[in-house]
Amino acid sequence: MSVNRRTLAAAIAVALIPAFNPLAAAEVDDATLRALLDRLERLEQRLGAEPTATAPTQPDEVVADLQQRLAILERKIEIQAEEAAAKAPTTPAVSINDKGLAVKTPKGDFDLKFRGIVQFDQRLYFDDDRLSFNDTHGFRRIRPTIEGSLGSLIGYRLTPEFAGDSATVVDAYVDVRFDPAYTLRVGKVKGPVGLERLQSASAINFAERSYPTELAPNRDIGLQLQGELLGGRLNYTAGLYNGTADGRDAPTTDADNNFEWAGRVFAEPWRNEANALSGLGFGIAASIGDKEGAGNNFLPRYRTPGQNVFFNYRSTVIANGEHQRWSPQAYYYRNALGLLGEYIVSEQDVGLSNNAAANTTLKHDAWQLTASWVLTGEDASYRGVAKPNSPFGVGAEGWGALELVARYGELDVDDDAFPIYASADSAATRSSAWGIGLNWYLTSNLKFVVNHARARFSGGAAGGGDREDEKTITSRIQVAF
Amino acid sequence: MKTLSKLLLALPLLAASVAQARDITLLNVSYDPTREFYREFNDAFAADWKAKTGDSVTIQASHGGSGKQARSVIDGLKADVVTLALSGDIDAIVQNARLLPPDWQSRLPNSSSPYTSTIVFLVRKGNPKGIRDWGDLTKPGISVITPNPKTSGGARWNYLAAWGWADRAFGGDRAKTIDYITRLFQNVPILDTGARGSTTTFVNRRVGDVFLSWENEAYLVLGNPGGDRFEIVVPSLSVLAEPPVALVDRNVDAKGTRAAAQAYLEFLYTEQGQKLAAKHHYRPSKPELVDAASLAKFPKLELLTIADFGGWAVAQKEHFGDGGIFDQIFQPAK
Repeated sequence: MSVNRRTLAAAIAVALIPAFNPLAAAEVDDATLRALLDRLERLEQRLGAEPTATAPTQPDEVVADLQQRLAILERKIEIQAEEAAAKAPTTPAVSINDKGLAVKTPKGDFDLKFRGIVQFDQRLYFDDDRLSFNDTHGFRRIRPTIEGSLGSLIGYRLTPEFAGDSATVVDAYVDVRFDPAYTLRVGKVKGPVGLERLQSASAINFAERSYPTELAPNRDIGLQLQGELLGGRLNYTAGLYNGTADGRDAPTTDADNNFEWAGRVFAEPWRNEANALSGLGFGIAASIGDKEGAGNNFLPRYRTPGQNVFFNYRSTVIANGEHQRWSPQAYYYRNALGLLGEYIVSEQDVGLSNNAAANTTLKHDAWQLTASWVLTGEDASYRGVAKPNSPFGVGAEGWGALELVARYGELDVDDDAFPIYASADSAATRSSAWGIGLNWYLTSNLKFVVNHARARFSGGAAGGGDREDEKTITSRIQVAF
Repeated sequence: MKTLSKLLLALPLLAASVAQARDITLLNVSYDPTREFYREFNDAFAADWKAKTGDSVTIQASHGGSGKQARSVIDGLKADVVTLALSGDIDAIVQNARLLPPDWQSRLPNSSSPYTSTIVFLVRKGNPKGIRDWGDLTKPGISVITPNPKTSGGARWNYLAAWGWADRAFGGDRAKTIDYITRLFQNVPILDTGARGSTTTFVNRRVGDVFLSWENEAYLVLGNPGGDRFEIVVPSLSVLAEPPVALVDRNVDAKGTRAAAQAYLEFLYTEQGQKLAAKHHYRPSKPELVDAASLAKFPKLELLTIADFGGWAVAQKEHFGDGGIFDQIFQPAK
């Protein structure tokens, strides 16, 4: 409740004229006086003052009454200002905007943010004569996120996932921020190997990530030390985790009593400079650890861009020793252009549960290159197009931002996997996939995605034939904040 | 040679004593009208402590509505001592933050109240509205200034004094007493959060016909420039306000200031402390230490004590707690 002080001052000045100028008082007729009283009463009502119980009738009493009522209003405003000033240092700042809801203490050391992402997909398959896949609608992600800080030392994030058949936790971690160069993160986090895996789901260029991500760990549980060095030009992560199969989340508890080490070093040497290389980042990541066991918690199933499994081990195969990955990776962003590439190798010792003598090391690898071009002039970035220059609005002139994307990738399964560890009749030994797409960022919160992807295979069909090509069109509506 | 030897022996002792002298800082969290009193008292104590120990002590002071001040200490304000308007506020610190023991009030004389005061009426010179006693405060056209009982200790004493008078005037008829209190607060145009704010409202902003004031605050107004525009009216009945003081044990132990803080409170009971209290218009708890002339200004009147209201725990809950009588009879401005 804030009264316009200038209005009040004017009312006070006019109302008090009679008190100091009897001649003026004589010139104020009843209508003018009534109008002034009405204005005063309206101000009193806005400030919550009680109505006057008795109305004085004598001129000097009227003036005294007016003076008193105006003094009360002035004092109320004064007290409001004092209370507001006293509360200012402790009143949290609440903001709600395109980045969600945020509450922050005046010092900024405690804050709470509510964010989220919802992706609704339509996936259509074409020419799937031999392998019939169901065209489908569905939620790909429904992820609210609560994150924030508890003082300068502690940060946290909790992200559940409601898009599956049952709710799960995607991210749940606590940061102990000793220094920007040394932060300890504990909980369920993205494993630090895959470049595209580490990219936010709201920012990836295609509806689904490419083949290298199939070989990288997804969410893992453990602890990692991370930080930025050299003014942010070099960042690193090194952690100890329960360990995951390629492309998968770790189970809630370690399934084989073996941990996995993983780390990544990524450099952006010119990030703080304004030159053609300022958007160049490159690095290398690796993981190593033992895995011992059978089933999906230990051995991977590789998927196509249409999310269909094209490679799977035989049921008798077990992970039987060391699993290591390494991945050189890079991106380059300059103005409207974006390039992202990565290569990854995953080597796993495997055996057969029904033949203790059958042990080998299988080496699978994958790579991809994605290019993007923002047609409407916004900058491309690893975080996507953050904010369209001319957001779309009903009745407004803007149409948002448009981005063209293209991608090619391959995944090669070790030939030695066949026929002992995988069946060539049902598992392909190699796949290549290309895709093109259009991303329409209507606003910073709303994104439409249309992708077309084709995947080709070597092997994977009965009689030594090749698995049928997969042709998909995936459309997505994404709301993120 | 002997003299020189003594000097040489004395020098290290002198150096040691200088080296041991400390700079101590105490924080006194107090209520609104004690600013002037503690300003002078702090200087007196610092000089006394320096003379006794060689240590320099600086006393920082925080003033505000008593209830608000207690809340600040509960929320982490590192007070070495609290000198508040009523014991209920210190009890709140005990209950909510456990910074001092429940028997804190027995640790110093006179239930830890080194001075007392009461509630009087401050009116405009000549008492143009003819206000003489509590019954006059509910008359139409009378504008009463008092702070908010939810935040101010002095305001709670004001309220209880009015309640006590009405309870007696209406023969214990609770409904009539509540009606009286309701009508009294209908005549209150502004509720400041503390007594000093109400003083500003009444004295400087010239709002209201009568200010329900601490006695010491009323005398302070009369003694200040422009004080001749006011006069004190002593009602037929009032309350014995016993502002208590207490050491905040956990804070002084954490800061290593227990000895100085304890001495600070005990100094209130010395002759010098009692005289300063009287000088600043507080009624000394040890009047025998103060000359009669300094006590003559305090009128004799019948005073109810907090025991007449069942003690602070009962009074707080019944009248000022959430959903208590005050919440029922007073609706703050929207």
